[in-house]
Amino acid sequence: MMTKRFHFLAVTLLTLGLLSACGSVPEAGPDGGQAGAASGRTGDDGRALGRADGSAGALDGRTAGMADGKMNGEPEHRIYFALNSDEISSTSAAVLTHNARWLGKRNVTVEGHCDERGTREYNLALGQKRADAVKQFLISQGVEPSRIRTVSYGKERPLVNGHGEAAWSKNRRADLVP
Amino acid sequence: MTHFTQRFLLVCLFLLLGAPAHAGLQIDISKGGLQPLPIAIPQFLDQPGGASGGRIADVVAADLERSGLFQILERKGFLQDPASLWQQGPNFKDWRVVGAEAVVSGSVTDTGTEVTADFFLYDVYKGTPVGKGQRFSAPKKDWHMVAHRIADEIYARLTGESGYFSSRIVFVAQRGDKKWLSIMDQDGLNRVDMTEGRSLVLTPRFSPNGDNLFFLSYVSGEPRIYKWELYTGKKSLVDDYPGLNSAPSWSPDGSRMAMTLNKDGNPEIYVKDLASGQLSRLTHNAGIDTSPSWSPDGRRIVFNSDRGGTPQIYTMNADGSSQTRITFEGNYNAAPSWSPRGDLIAYVKGGGGVFGIAIINPQGNQGRNLTSSWMDESPAWAPNGRVIAFTREIQGKGSRLYTIDLTGYNERAVPMDPDINASDPSWSPLLK
Repeated sequence: MMTKRFHFLAVTLLTLGLLSACGSVPEAGPDGGQAGAASGRTGDDGRALGRADGSAGALDGRTAGMADGKMNGEPEHRIYFALNSDEISSTSAAVLTHNARWLGKRNVTVEGHCDERGTREYNLALGQKRADAVKQFLISQGVEPSRIRTVSYGKERPLVNGHGEAAWSKNRRADLVP
Repeated sequence: MTHFTQRFLLVCLFLLLGAPAHAGLQIDISKGGLQPLPIAIPQFLDQPGGASGGRIADVVAADLERSGLFQILERKGFLQDPASLWQQGPNFKDWRVVGAEAVVSGSVTDTGTEVTADFFLYDVYKGTPVGKGQRFSAPKKDWHMVAHRIADEIYARLTGESGYFSSRIVFVAQRGDKKWLSIMDQDGLNRVDMTEGRSLVLTPRFSPNGDNLFFLSYVSGEPRIYKWELYTGKKSLVDDYPGLNSAPSWSPDGSRMAMTLNKDGNPEIYVKDLASGQLSRLTHNAGIDTSPSWSPDGRRIVFNSDRGGTPQIYTMNADGSSQTRITFEGNYNAAPSWSPRGDLIAYVKGGGGVFGIAIINPQGNQGRNLTSSWMDESPAWAPNGRVIAFTREIQGKGSRLYTIDLTGYNERAVPMDPDINASDPSWSPLLK
């Protein structure tokens, strides 16, 4: 009988590698310093990261506060987009103009989001384009570019957990997180 | 005309037409929806001290059954027992009676730390072995891999193409609001969770040799591409450009990475030489360019662009020249993946409220739809280029991994714990 012994070492090492990786650096990230600095800089974002399916309750809690803040002249920090579009509508332009005035010397993170339809990578790019469109608009209104950070979550962080146009139109959005 | 002369004339006809040398038992996997080949896989005979003969034969049978090309015969009807089969060879008449066209005979030896399996494959109608006997060994805990190797060998001998069973799938697992990286054998067993889900991870991709992963993580608060060396567990940041860093894709020789960056103000495709760090930009337009995937010869890249108004599939040379649109049907074509055989591109085809997996050749011809559902995405090829794994999102019920044969037949859910949502599969090469 022909004998062919094949290499299980690879498989074993693979498994061991994975297990030891889990044990030693489970989530610390390849660059702890960088991760630490970043999470310090974006504390609010850190919380957002914990909500993988965008629990509507938690997010609404946060934005409800902002909406209430309008009494103090604080604008709504959210605009919406049409399907597969990063164009800023006239309604959104008014919201962003208000935001630009209110931001003044504050730093802001612009989060770009998409609805659940479409592929993950296309939506990551589309979310980035939406955030960038907001950034360009804010710059045009006098906000210093260095104060604006953009991040795309693609379809990972829906605001509303529904599966129809009513939910999708709310999820195609950009959130401004001062 | 007697039966014998009929047979004789048929043989002559085959010789005239240049029939393949192995005309006896051969599955033509280029055709879909064929009758699966009835095969008998009795328990492998346990040598003294052994206890793995049953479970190894079961995994061999499960692999072959899932390929859709084999009908696994019920063992209870078998007339020859595994000991007699192994010691005396097949009594072919007994196997013809139960309808088997092929029979597998195996023997397993367990030593303290190793499991060794020997097997023979027979053509029941010709009454001859198909290929030689073969032996596979592994550390005892890796007995599954012995079975997968035997299944690959049987698949290869009966189809003429290499198998895909000795391989793993890495994917994103989700439970509740946590997403983490997980890796498993291609049959859904032996799952190992790689991260704990504290930060969002997306789109893991095996390196061409299976030793490393690229994946997207928000661990720093920003989407960044990381490399994970599976042998050492070492993780490193591959790039850190402002804005979006996404869609990592390894060149077939492992030396370069294609990806999508936003650093110049718009999502564009770049290629980075991993040794020198040198970055070249391949696309220049106001639309989205993303999801690059290399041809197996490393000369071409297929990608997704909405420069024409809707997301469509394009190809280009690896230096960015000759950008050509290849899909024209449907208003949402995305996430292309070039087959390891080079002959086909799988992609997501959307329109009319459904998203399915489709294939098309690199020239943009002979497109075919393989699946259709509320949301199918992220096609990933098996190492032999015959099977595609993908994510199926079931409206309101989370996501599962599925596989489909490139003929469009044999759609299967990959077994998974019911409380885990799975997405973004990447299929390893065959483990050697």
